[in-house]
Amino acid sequence: MISRVADHCFWMGRYVERTENAARVLSATHGLALDGELPAPQCWLPVLIVAGEQPAFTQRFGAAAAGDEDVVQQYMTWDEKNLSSLVRSVGAARENARSIRELLSIEVWEAINEVYLWMRGEAARDEYADNRFGFYGRLRWYTELVLGLVRTTMLHDQGVDFVGLGVLLERASWTARVLDVHHHALLGQGLANHAVDTGLWLAILRACSGYEPFLRHSRGQTTGLAVANFLLLEPKFPRSVRYCLQGAGERLSIIRPPDRNELPGGRSLQRLLNLGAWLRQVQLSPADPTALHQVLTQVVDETAAVCDGLGEELLGQPPRPIMVEAEKAG
Amino acid sequence: VTEIAAHPSVAEIPPRPTNLFDGYSFLGNTYDELLTSEGAARPAFQLAMEMLARKSPDEVRRCQALVDRALLSRGVTFSVYSDNRGTEKIFPFDVLPRMVSAQDWKHIRAGLEQRVRALELFLEDVYGDARILRENRIPAEVVLGSRGYLEQVRGIIPPGDVRIHVAGIDLIRDSSGTWRVLEDNLRTPSGVSYVLENRVMAKRAFPAAFDRARVQAVDTYPARLGNALRSVSPETEEPNVVLLTPGPYNSAFFEHAFLARTMGIDLVQASDLFVDGDRVWLRTTRGPAPVHVIYRRIDDAFLDPDVFRPDSMLGVRGLFRAWQKGNVALANAPGNGIADDKAVYPYVPEMIRFYLYEDPILEQVPTYLCVRDDDRAFVIEHLHELVVKVVDEAGGYGMLMGPQSTAELREEFRRRILAEPRRYIAQMRVELSSCPTWDADRGCPVPRRVDLRPYVVSSTAGPWVLPGGLTRVALVEGSYVVNSSQGGGSKDTWVLKP
Repeated sequence: MISRVADHCFWMGRYVERTENAARVLSATHGLALDGELPAPQCWLPVLIVAGEQPAFTQRFGAAAAGDEDVVQQYMTWDEKNLSSLVRSVGAARENARSIRELLSIEVWEAINEVYLWMRGEAARDEYADNRFGFYGRLRWYTELVLGLVRTTMLHDQGVDFVGLGVLLERASWTARVLDVHHHALLGQGLANHAVDTGLWLAILRACSGYEPFLRHSRGQTTGLAVANFLLLEPKFPRSVRYCLQGAGERLSIIRPPDRNELPGGRSLQRLLNLGAWLRQVQLSPADPTALHQVLTQVVDETAAVCDGLGEELLGQPPRPIMVEAEKAG
Repeated sequence: VTEIAAHPSVAEIPPRPTNLFDGYSFLGNTYDELLTSEGAARPAFQLAMEMLARKSPDEVRRCQALVDRALLSRGVTFSVYSDNRGTEKIFPFDVLPRMVSAQDWKHIRAGLEQRVRALELFLEDVYGDARILRENRIPAEVVLGSRGYLEQVRGIIPPGDVRIHVAGIDLIRDSSGTWRVLEDNLRTPSGVSYVLENRVMAKRAFPAAFDRARVQAVDTYPARLGNALRSVSPETEEPNVVLLTPGPYNSAFFEHAFLARTMGIDLVQASDLFVDGDRVWLRTTRGPAPVHVIYRRIDDAFLDPDVFRPDSMLGVRGLFRAWQKGNVALANAPGNGIADDKAVYPYVPEMIRFYLYEDPILEQVPTYLCVRDDDRAFVIEHLHELVVKVVDEAGGYGMLMGPQSTAELREEFRRRILAEPRRYIAQMRVELSSCPTWDADRGCPVPRRVDLRPYVVSSTAGPWVLPGGLTRVALVEGSYVVNSSQGGGSKDTWVLKP
């Protein structure tokens, strides 16, 4: 597969996944804020931190604006200057897709193009104004449709592997960031108010599509440690960090088999497999939020390093994904 | 005597009192493609026209809306240079089809095959012995003075000995209904993807009329082109064919992606390729892979900075040498611009007689060459009646439509012609034929002028003409300009089976 084409596949996967993640976090936070248990900045500032946008946001709107849900949602949804905004992520996903139009099935292309056209049209503005949950929900529905169609309407060759690799690495990093921003609330003293803590834990689960799977798994026993364990280490939950790293390692092993040392990509593969192996033996302590923070920092940093390595080894030298600035900002 | 049974679905359709084409207003002194001047369907199209005529304005309006929406979501768009970077527009599609009778098509097909064979021989000759120039059948300065002439190509025999792998020959029809060649496009003619997409849309819009008309299929084009490209490959075992595009911001990117997809080949950009040991390689995730045939959709000037434009960042260094050595085939071959130069066009009938010993089958449009003294004097005197064109421009750019022009514009062209006579030709304005075209505002079909671009694919076995083509339509009332960049749209072209 042409390196540039692989690059667009990888980034298309990442931007589609990023769109869904951001829409889900915004939706879950909107729900959390409506409960009114937490001060507004404690709801909305984490959204900006997870997206890597706190410095840029504060510079433009001032620190206090992080408590204004309208400003934060507007910024994370429509702001063209915000490279992590939904409208920019959708645009970048579509731009990458358009560059590999010859590779995508007509169904995948139509789905990506439709969400792009929808976001640019009045219908999306109306839905945003009238039905905020519906708006975020529709974005998630579109992105899930795209990823489903990639699986069901395309030849499962390297192109699909690179899309999947991008999705899984993006997802691993995203789940880790969501956990990290709340690591104090999950372990240690928490917020010292059980009802508030529980509300936040459930919002974190919702932000990772883990609410119902978690309750099923834990049979209703909700503790901060259980939530952290579930989102970090649960091997059967498709958004846990462990599951994503495991899946990414498998994808990359198909793209670049471990025994084919004459092919490029060996360093990234090894780094990714090492990270997954290391994570499998991590054990969280209920009283030590700092240790959780350290684990998550390691995951985020190593995932970023794997992505950089992939860019150099497999995706064409020098790496030049469309809108690479979004990564630097994050 | 028993009656001939009709299919129930046909028999049960109740007759409609109205006819979609009632009240169709004809243009004066203009041949209409579908209707006779009495307002009846042309005999060859009667069956299909009956079905179309039964449609109510509301039904046609709905079809048009559905088709527009489908084109947008399928991304059947072109980018506009003068617009912001990356702005995409759908190429307006008119739902009412254009039809060509089997009899007309037989004539067109024979004429196109003949023309492309002669043009191919002309290129081989000019870049070889130049017999046609030495025998003064075409003035040497007209050919060698062309901007498309590439001295570097002299003496090169391209892989497979084919230079015009894809030709798009623009045809028009004058007021008497005579088909005429308007111009040749022998470098990187575009538009064929719209032919295939338009067909998908037309089938959705008018399945019954399409069925009745018995239309020749067009979707074999990618397979034909793929075979032609493989036929010229220097490597015969496993030829690797790629399509070279300038990238997503090019106006024809949709088509590049479409063709790569439907031929099942890689769509590459120049930065994906490199030359090593006079061979062309593709950068892949598993290391370099050899490339044998490049269907390039970029201009000669941007192929290889070593040869053409040292200042250019585009192109692939060493590509020309790899081609020269016969290690890679380029489709179309570099240097073809001399054969579709508008100042060379008047000599094509002469080429047909010179190389093939045949009489030209297709008529042309009488043309004045400003490089000739007599012609130039006439052109300068008659600018208000003539269409003036730049010899090496395409897409309707750099054109003067005399009868609709202002005095200032004519004066500007007069100065430009006198400064660079070689760059200009002039033709009498042909009353392009009209075809019923849907007017959404009025809710009825109106006559709009059309042309036709058929496509000819040449392999080592010779030319093949796609039974169809791009009908371009001047959507603006009174306009003669069909180019998509200037308010033109397109129609599906139904070439009927014999």
